[in-house]
Amino acid sequence: MIEFKNVSKGYDKNKSDALKNVSLFIDKGEFVFLVGRSGAGKSTFIKLLLREIEATEGTVYINNFNVSKLSKKEIPFLRRKMGIVFQDFRLLENKSVYENVAYAMEIIGKSERQIQKRVPLALDMVGLSHRMNHYPHELSGGEQQRVVIARAIINNPSILICDEPTGNLDPETSYEIISILEEINRRGTTILVVTHDREIVDTMKKRVLTLEDGVLKVDDATGRYGYEV
Amino acid sequence: MRQAGTDMKFSSIKTMPKNVVRDTVKSIERNNLMSAASVLSVIAALIILGIFLILTINVQEVTKDVESKLELKIFLQSDFTDTQKTAIEQALEKSALVENVTFESAEEALEKFTVSLEDYAPLLSGYNSENNPMPASFVVRVTDPEDMDEVQNLAMSFSGQGVEYVRYGQEYVEALVSFNKFTNTLSLVVLVVLSMISIFIIYNTIKLTVFARRREIGIMKYVGATNAYIRAPFILEGTLLGLVGAIVAFLIIRITYYYILGLVGGNLFLPVDATLAAPDAVMGQLIFFFLLYGGFIGAVGSVFAIRKFLDV
Repeated sequence: MIEFKNVSKGYDKNKSDALKNVSLFIDKGEFVFLVGRSGAGKSTFIKLLLREIEATEGTVYINNFNVSKLSKKEIPFLRRKMGIVFQDFRLLENKSVYENVAYAMEIIGKSERQIQKRVPLALDMVGLSHRMNHYPHELSGGEQQRVVIARAIINNPSILICDEPTGNLDPETSYEIISILEEINRRGTTILVVTHDREIVDTMKKRVLTLEDGVLKVDDATGRYGYEV
Repeated sequence: MRQAGTDMKFSSIKTMPKNVVRDTVKSIERNNLMSAASVLSVIAALIILGIFLILTINVQEVTKDVESKLELKIFLQSDFTDTQKTAIEQALEKSALVENVTFESAEEALEKFTVSLEDYAPLLSGYNSENNPMPASFVVRVTDPEDMDEVQNLAMSFSGQGVEYVRYGQEYVEALVSFNKFTNTLSLVVLVVLSMISIFIIYNTIKLTVFARRREIGIMKYVGATNAYIRAPFILEGTLLGLVGAIVAFLIIRITYYYILGLVGGNLFLPVDATLAAPDAVMGQLIFFFLLYGGFIGAVGSVFAIRKFLDV
């Protein structure tokens, strides 16, 4: 569950122009696209969710929890509730596919037994079981992105945030990635996809949030891309 | 959310050591040149510090030793009378500050002097009890060397009434005390300067490590690793470098100290009778201080190095 209540954010002291008075509610289990031109405030939106930055005004709630009330020490535990998929993958080159996924479990202190049990399941889910012992540079872009998705869901986050997940992929691979996300969504995970990919948004017919110059312009439940390119 | 948080915190502490140790060893291997430089800088700093520390300990030791052996010598006039001698002796023995008093007659003094100059004894052969140039004296041992002055005043109150003059190793004591202060200050200055240099070098080494792993740190932050978890391997690495430096420096100092001790055989060539501080006691203090110091500057350097990269 994600809720923004009159959230504004400015990077300069006196201006709130990155986000302007944004209010929205994303329920548990929803699949939502966030679209907008470069500089429309999409990155600011994600950074607010991750508590990389704090809102200048307004409140951000995640799972009914006021994010701005978190102390620095609690931020890691907020992030464990969220899985993140990056456009540029951010895999560790010196670790195998298995190790990259296992790493996310090691970091939060899961036991070796739990890791051995769950990593193969996650890799199976994204269809990469046969690539377990390969290294990132041996994989195609689509395969790397699937490793990233496996890593993002390995700790059972309630929300999966995908920042341009198909930005570096060809259309066919993009659809594969999106269908994996759909499958994850079917299992109950809230999914927020930030994207430029108009075609995907239009065919998926999911809820679309459109940001324009920091303002939430359109909130369309039927899945229409909210601005003309 | 809080509930889950504490839960995970607990389990992450349990499984942390294995991962941390693995990452640390890898990192030291990867950075072997800078790691070696860090260890060398700690070794160099600690050897210099060690020399000053041993010097300080020894100066303190010698000062204590000399003070405890200090005697006050009250020389009597050549024409003192028995009454005067008894009066002085009684006054001294009554004083609470005096431990014991021995009388040394002019004859005994001459005899002692002759013996101490054995090779040149013929020079003194012309002297006998008739023309003895040596004065008779009282040798006084005081309970507390601090009271030397007061006992001296007491003796001087008999000046002209049998007492010619009073002497004790005042110059030596004062010289030692001021030398003691000097070495203490110098050690402190050296400690501060060398610490800063060592911390700076370790800081740079760890910063390289942190930089090499900044991607990993970023990923760790997004996956929800705590700062403590991210920091641990770097602090461990810095501390380890400091400790290795400390141990090597200690071994070098220890070997050298015993070697020098063997050469001089405990003779310090000082005008007072004193020995070097007991080597085992010194070494015990030294290894304790070294490990503490090495570990501390290693940890401090690392903490500074990683601070900037933790803000995501």
